[in-house]
Order: sequence, then C-alpha cells, then structure tokens
Amino acid sequence: MATTTESHTAPPAPTGAAARPPRRARRPRRHGHALPYLLLLPATAVLALVLGYPLVRLVIISFQDYGLRALFTGVITWAGLANYQAVWQDPQLLPVLARTGAFCAALVAGTLVIGLLVALMMARLGPRMRTAVTLCLITSWAMPPVAATLVWQWLFQPVYGVVNWLLTQTGLFGDLTQHDWTTSALSAFAIVWLLVVWQSVPFVALTLYAGLSQIPRSYYEAAAIDGAGAWTVFRVITLPFLRPILVLVTILSVIWDFNIFTQIWILTQGGPGGGTTTLGIWSFTKAFSGNSFGQGAAIAVVSVLLLLVLTLYYVRRLVRSGEDL
Amino acid sequence: MTPFGASGRPTLRRVPLNAAAALFCLLWIFPVYWMVNTAFKPYGDILSPAPQFLPFPLSFANFADAIGKPGFLTDLRNSLVVTAAVVVLAVVVAFFAAVALTRLRFAGRRTFLIAVLVVQMVPLPALVIPVFLSLKSAHLLDNLLALVLTYAAIVLPFTIWTLRGFLHGIPVELEEAAMVDGAGRMTITRRILLPLVMPGVIATSVFAFITAWNDYLFANVLMKDQAHETLPVWLVSFSTATGTDYGGLIAASTLSALPVIVFFMLIQRRLVAGMTAGAVKD
Repeated sequence: MATTTESHTAPPAPTGAAARPPRRARRPRRHGHALPYLLLLPATAVLALVLGYPLVRLVIISFQDYGLRALFTGVITWAGLANYQAVWQDPQLLPVLARTGAFCAALVAGTLVIGLLVALMMARLGPRMRTAVTLCLITSWAMPPVAATLVWQWLFQPVYGVVNWLLTQTGLFGDLTQHDWTTSALSAFAIVWLLVVWQSVPFVALTLYAGLSQIPRSYYEAAAIDGAGAWTVFRVITLPFLRPILVLVTILSVIWDFNIFTQIWILTQGGPGGGTTTLGIWSFTKAFSGNSFGQGAAIAVVSVLLLLVLTLYYVRRLVRSGEDL
Repeated sequence: MTPFGASGRPTLRRVPLNAAAALFCLLWIFPVYWMVNTAFKPYGDILSPAPQFLPFPLSFANFADAIGKPGFLTDLRNSLVVTAAVVVLAVVVAFFAAVALTRLRFAGRRTFLIAVLVVQMVPLPALVIPVFLSLKSAHLLDNLLALVLTYAAIVLPFTIWTLRGFLHGIPVELEEAAMVDGAGRMTITRRILLPLVMPGVIATSVFAFITAWNDYLFANVLMKDQAHETLPVWLVSFSTATGTDYGGLIAASTLSALPVIVFFMLIQRRLVAGMTAGAVKD
C-alpha cells in the first residue's frame, strides 16, 4: 500500500572479497556467488507467488470462459476476446469509466487542496497548536478503514446520526433527521468522498509540511526585504521548492484513490441502482456476484492498464532512479 | 508573513490562524471522538433523538455486548494469529533480502530493486480474482496460511526498501572490525547488524501489523467459513446482521482501532520519511 522511493546517496557499501582481510578472502568468495541469491530467494518466492503469478493468471483468465461451470467442473474453455467484447458492449462501461475518473479526480483534488492548505497552516502555527494538528491528523490516518467506514455509517445514519441532527440544528436545510444519504448516487458519493479525504489528507499534509520545513528560511527573508507579497512568495519560492513532493503525492493519491474499494463496498455496495459502481466494484460484482470471473478479470485488466497509463511518468522515474541505486 | 514563526511573537495576527487551526482540529477529530463517545454511552443514550455529546455516566455495556457476540473472540484470535505470522515472516524475509542488497554485490541486484517497486504498484483489488481462483483450485480457501502469505507479499516491498535504507546507514567498517576480531557471519548479524537495525525492524513490523490487521478485501473473499474470519470481516457482517445495534458495533470498532492508533503513533515519523525520501534529492 505504501510506496517508498528511498534513494540513498551514501557510497555503495564495499562488498565481496575486497572488503575482507586477505586471509579470509578465499573461502567466502566461493559461496559468495550463491549467497545473495539464497538470501533473496524467500522474498522472491513470496512476491512471485502472491503478486507475480496472480497477475499473469489474471490476464489468462480474462481470455477464458470462466463461469460457474468452470468453477465446479474445473473444465475451462478459451473464450478468445469474448470477455473484452462483452465489456466493450456493456452499456455500463461508459458510465462506470466516467464515474471512476470523476470520483478519482474529485478525491485527488480535494485531498491535495486541503492537504496543502493544512501544511501551509502548520508551517505558520506555534509549536503547541502544531502538535495538536499533527495529533488529529495521525489519529484519522491511523483509523482502520473498516472501523472508519462503520463510524461513518453511524455518523450519517438516518434518525439517530449526529450529522443529520447537526445539519438540522443549523436550520439552513430544514428537517434532515430522516435523510438517508445512500439513496442517491451523488450524496452517497459525497459521504464516501468525505471519508476518503478525511483519511488521505494526513499523509499529504504531513508530507508537504516536511517538504516546507526544508525550504531555507533565508529565501523568505530575502523576499521580505524585497517587499514581496504573500502570493508572490508562495508562487516564486514555496511552489517551485515543493514541486517534486507535490508530484509524488499527486501520483500516489491517484494510485490510491483509483483503487478505493472497501469504503464504497461497505457503504453502498455500488448502489443505489449501480450509481456508485466504479471499475473496482464492477469487476468485483461481475466476478463474485455474477460468477463471470472472465469478464471480471477483463475489467480488472483494463483498470490495471488505465492506471499504468495514468502513472507512466512515475514508473519511468522509478526505473530511472534505479540507475543510481 | 513568513512560515515557521519567523516573526517571533504570537501577535494579534496569529489569532485568525489559531482559530482556523482549532476549527480544523475539531472537525478532524470529531469522527474519532464520536466513536469513543458512542462506545462508552449507556445504551439508552445512543438511540436518543437529540445526541448526547458526553458519554456520562460511563458504561462498558457496549464493550461487553460486542465481546459476547458470537464469533468476536474467534475472529479476534484469527486476526492476532495472522497478524503475528505476517509480521515475523515479512520482517525475517525482508531482512535477508536487505542484507543481500546492501552487503553483497551480484548480478540482478538493481533489477530486483526495481521489480519490487513496480510490483507494489499493481492494484490489489485487481488481484482478488486470480488469487481467489488459484487458492480455490489449490484447496487453500479458509486456510489462514493463505492470508498470511498474501499480506506478507503486500508488505514486502515496503519492508525490503525500509530495511535496506537502515542497513545502508550502518558503516561496513563495524562489521569489518568484528571480522578482524574473528567473528563469524552469524555472530556479526546477531551482535552488530540486528541491534543497529532495530528501529527499522520496529517500523516495518508496525507497518506489517497495520496492513494485516486492517485488510478487509482479501479476508472477505478468501475466508468463506465463519470460523476463519478476521476481525474486519466480522465487523462488517455484524453491521449488516444486527442493523441497529450501533452501541456494540461502535464499541467493537473502537477495540479494533485502538491497537492500530497506538502503533501508528510509534512509527508515523518513519512512514512520512520513508515515503518521501528520494522525492527531493538530499
């Protein structure tokens, strides 16, 4: 889930026989050839078994007629492109794609804007207030998604939910106590959006704040002497310094928000009337409710490819960063 | 106005800023506050038309109710077993890999590191279908071992990279000195590397703990039998099965969230650093 792009500029550790005193050099060199591979074997085995193999299998299943019959008899027939054709001709395809894209964009935009504002605010706060903000952020970040989603259900529950009560007290919207947020796709998306943003802002805010604290203060002092306004300072100093971190958190947010599943599944199961069905939910219901694993796999392949296109820049950067590992 | 309080004293200009910060805190902590508040309320106060904002008189009835529900203790045990196994497996396997990656030079080192990074970008919801079908044909559904392996693989990339970073920071001269004194590989690993890399081991353990403890997606699909459910699956089924027993549900949510929040506090610095290092060249 978490992505690291650590790169250390420390000189590579001298390794192999060169680092050892000459007397012992001969013995380790012989098994030195197998040792690194032996040490990597368990990690490689687990990764290949649980991430690599299923990924290959996913593509294969997407070309197979994998339904209930295949599940029980074990007899699997090839389907050619039939699964992709079925997905392509499904009237659901366009709405699902549009929904997934719009929801992901709304989540990323909301998370980044709020996260940046919080980070800028934290940089200007006194130490005590800043600690309070940090503690609140970490608490919401730490909430397990399932527990958070169930708390959300309770917060927005019709009749006894505290949010409806509070909104009613403001007197702005009339009596909302009976309002059920999951009866319309838009308001259902709204509460999922609030939930996901609530949980994603902490990472973005704390990361951007860490970046802000690395900007040399002399830049700001110089700008103050030149009489630059707050907006100019932000545009000319803060933003260029933050750009690499902003790019990173944007891409990570795209990856995470594109894959949001648990929260939508628990709150709406993709309803009402399929109104909150995103690509992930669609693939899941096709496979596990409709027992059409082939079509579910085809949708999953499409979503993997879409995500790959969206994050191509990041993948290229990763591969390139490998050059100075 | 400059960041980091360069102006020095908390003047009047800080007042709107502090007010905004206070409002933000109030807003952000509210869901957690409401969870704890609900969990400790006496039952009658939960379902009252006007919500009670303080849980007094404190009541533990909701917790007793949740723990007494069928399946809670079994699923709590399952969660603990799976999580502990994932932590041990992931950290040990990643430590071996990290030692190889930092202390030995060999063909394919860079390829391995990049492959690990790329593989963790695979969207997990897409993998549910093939993982489910493969385990089904291998008759490993409802086997906790399947969950352990799945979670271990999910956390391995992060674990390997983090431990690699820590090992990188330990000067090789220390090991060389020990070697000159006649210490063998095992002694060096046990007496020098392991103690020095302990903060990294703790950080990655906590990360593995949180991932395994929180997952719903895989546990829901792979564990069909009630006796093998984990806590998140139990929570969701509780929510749909009982409808309005929000007291018990929220108390159980609180119990499942508590260890994570505590552990999270322990490693959050490491998490932020681990995810952003490399974004800015240092």
